[in-house]
Amino acid sequence: MNKQSLVYTIVFTFAVCFVFVAILAVANDLTAEQVRQNQIVAQQRAVLNAMGISYQSDEEVLSLFEDVEQEEIDGTIVYITEKDGNRIYAMSFRGGGVWGPIVGILAMDSSLENIFGIEIISHEETPGLGGRITEEQWKEQFRDRPVPDGSIDVVRGGSTGDGQVAAISGATGTSNSMERILNNAMERFRELLGGRDA
Amino acid sequence: MNAPDIGLFSLFFASIFTSNILLANFLGMCSFIAISKDLKSSNGLGLAVTVVLTVTGAANWLILHYILIPYDLIYLRFIIFILVIAAMVQILEMVIDRVSQKLYITLGIFLPLITVNCAILGVSLFIEIREYNFVQTVIYSLGSGLGWWLAIVALAAIRNKTEKTKTVPAGLQGSGLTMITIGLMALAFIGFSGMLSVQ
Amino acid sequence: MSDTAPKTVGGILTDNLWHSNPIFMQVLGICSALAVTNLLTNTFIMSVGVIFTTMMSNFTVSIIKGLIPRKVRMMVQVLIIAFYVIIVDIVLRAYMPDIHEALGPYVGLIITNCIIMGRAEAFAQSNGPGLSLWDGITSASGYMGVLLVIAFFREILAFGSLFGFRIMPNWFEPWIIMAMPPSAFFFLGIIIWIGKTIMNHEEAAA
Repeated sequence: MNKQSLVYTIVFTFAVCFVFVAILAVANDLTAEQVRQNQIVAQQRAVLNAMGISYQSDEEVLSLFEDVEQEEIDGTIVYITEKDGNRIYAMSFRGGGVWGPIVGILAMDSSLENIFGIEIISHEETPGLGGRITEEQWKEQFRDRPVPDGSIDVVRGGSTGDGQVAAISGATGTSNSMERILNNAMERFRELLGGRDA
Repeated sequence: MNAPDIGLFSLFFASIFTSNILLANFLGMCSFIAISKDLKSSNGLGLAVTVVLTVTGAANWLILHYILIPYDLIYLRFIIFILVIAAMVQILEMVIDRVSQKLYITLGIFLPLITVNCAILGVSLFIEIREYNFVQTVIYSLGSGLGWWLAIVALAAIRNKTEKTKTVPAGLQGSGLTMITIGLMALAFIGFSGMLSVQ
Repeated sequence: MSDTAPKTVGGILTDNLWHSNPIFMQVLGICSALAVTNLLTNTFIMSVGVIFTTMMSNFTVSIIKGLIPRKVRMMVQVLIIAFYVIIVDIVLRAYMPDIHEALGPYVGLIITNCIIMGRAEAFAQSNGPGLSLWDGITSASGYMGVLLVIAFFREILAFGSLFGFRIMPNWFEPWIIMAMPPSAFFFLGIIIWIGKTIMNHEEAAA
C-alpha cells in the first residue's frame, strides 16, 4: 500500500489517535478513585491544619479525622471539633486571587467572633510575592485572631490589632483578595451558623 | 466569582510587564534564544507569536468550556490544545497567504516554529488553571504575546551591542551572556510592579 | 550534530551528558523546566518526567517510523509526545498529588520541550529502537544534571533547605530573590560559563 496516499494518511492518523485516546481513557479511569482519595486526604489535612491539630502521617490524618464531625448545612460541609472545651467550626473557602483561584480552609470558634486559623490548599499567586500566603509566618497571624466587627482588615505596614493582619509587602493585590475572600467566607459562616448557641 | 480578581487593565499591564510570559514564566525560550540575534526577524516572530497566541487562547478557552469540561475530557487537554494550536497555525498560514503575499513572506517562515513554542501552549494551560473568563482570556493572551514581542526585540537589540564587545571572557560569550542578560531584564521587568499594584 | 555523533552506546552517553549536552551546548528545552528549579524535589520529579517522555517517545518513533506518512510526521511525533506526557500527568496526579499541584501547568509543557522533539527528529527517525531509547535516556539525563545543580543552589539560598529538609542554621535569612525567576537565568548563565570554559580548556589541551 502506498504510504504517502491520502487515504493511508487519514487512516493512519485516526488509528494513532484512537489507540492513544483509548489507552489514556483507561489510565484515567483506573486512577480516578486514587485521585478522589487524594483530594479527600488533602482536604482533611487542611482542615486539621486550620484547626491547629498536629499530625505526622496521612494515616494519622484519617484517624484524627474520625473525631471531626461533618455536618452539611445548606449544601456546604461544616467541620466541627471540640478543642479545650470550645467548639471549633471549619469550612472551605474559594475565591479569585490576582492570578487564579485561591482555595483553603477557614476555622472559627463557636462565637464566630474569633478566627481560629486558616490553611491555603491551592493558589496561583506569584512565587516570592503573593505566593507567600502559604508561609507559616503569614498564616500564623490568623491564629486566634479576634474579629469583633465580623470582618478582617489586611493592613499595610504591619500594625495588627483586633481584626487586622499585616499585608504581604509587594503583594497588595493578593492581600486585598485574601481580605475579600475571607470576609465572604465569614459572612457565609454567619449565614449558616448564625442562629446557633455557642 | 472565582475568576481571578484583577482589573482588565492591570491584567493587561501585568501580562506585558511584571509577569511577562518569557521573563517570569520562562516560556518560549527556545525560539527566543535562536532568533534574538537579529532585530528584524525578532520583530517578525514577535508579531506572529502575538497573533497566534491571541487566536489560540480564545479558541482553546471555547473548546475547554464547551467541549472538554461538559464531557469530562479534561485529562485529554494537552493533546487537544496542541492540536488546536497546530491547526490554527496552519489556517493562519493559509489565510495570510491569500490575503497578503508581503505579510506571508515576512511571517511565513516563523509560523511552523510557533507550533512548538512553549509560550503558546503555556498560555492555554494557564487559562485553564487560573479559570479566566473569556474577556480575561483574550486580554491575557494578547498581553502575553505583546510582552513576548517586547522581550525578544529588547534582547535582540542588547545582543547586537554585547556581541560586538571584545571584553567578555571566552566561556561566557554567546548563550552564557545571553542568559545573564535575560536575568537582568527579568529583574528590571519585575521592577515595573512598583508602577501599578498588580501583585 | 547527531550526523557526526558516534552511534555507540558509550559514545552516545558521553556525547549527550557532556559534549552536546542539550543545555550547555544547544540551550534547548529550558522553557518548561527553569520555572520549577526553585525546589530540588520538584526539579527531580520534573526531570524524571522528561526522561521518561524522551525515552519512550524516541522508542515509539523509532519503532513506527516506517509507518508514518511523510505529510503528518511532525503531527504524529507531537501526538506521541503528548500521549506520554499525559501518562506522566495522570500518574503524578494519582500518586504524587502534592508535586502535581506544585508543578501546575509545567507538566503539560514537557510536550513543547524542544529536546524531546529534537531527539525524535534528529535521532529516532534514523536509528533503531534500542539505541533511540538509550539516546533518549542520556540526553534527558544531561538535562536533568544541569537543572539539579541550579535547583541545589536556588533551594539552599531561597529556603535554606535541600529536598525540603532544612539544613541551614537558624540565623540564615533566606534570599527571597532566589525563589523568583531572575535567579534561574543568572545560575544558568554561570553554569554555561563554567561548562564552556572547562570545555575550551579540554579542547586546548587536546
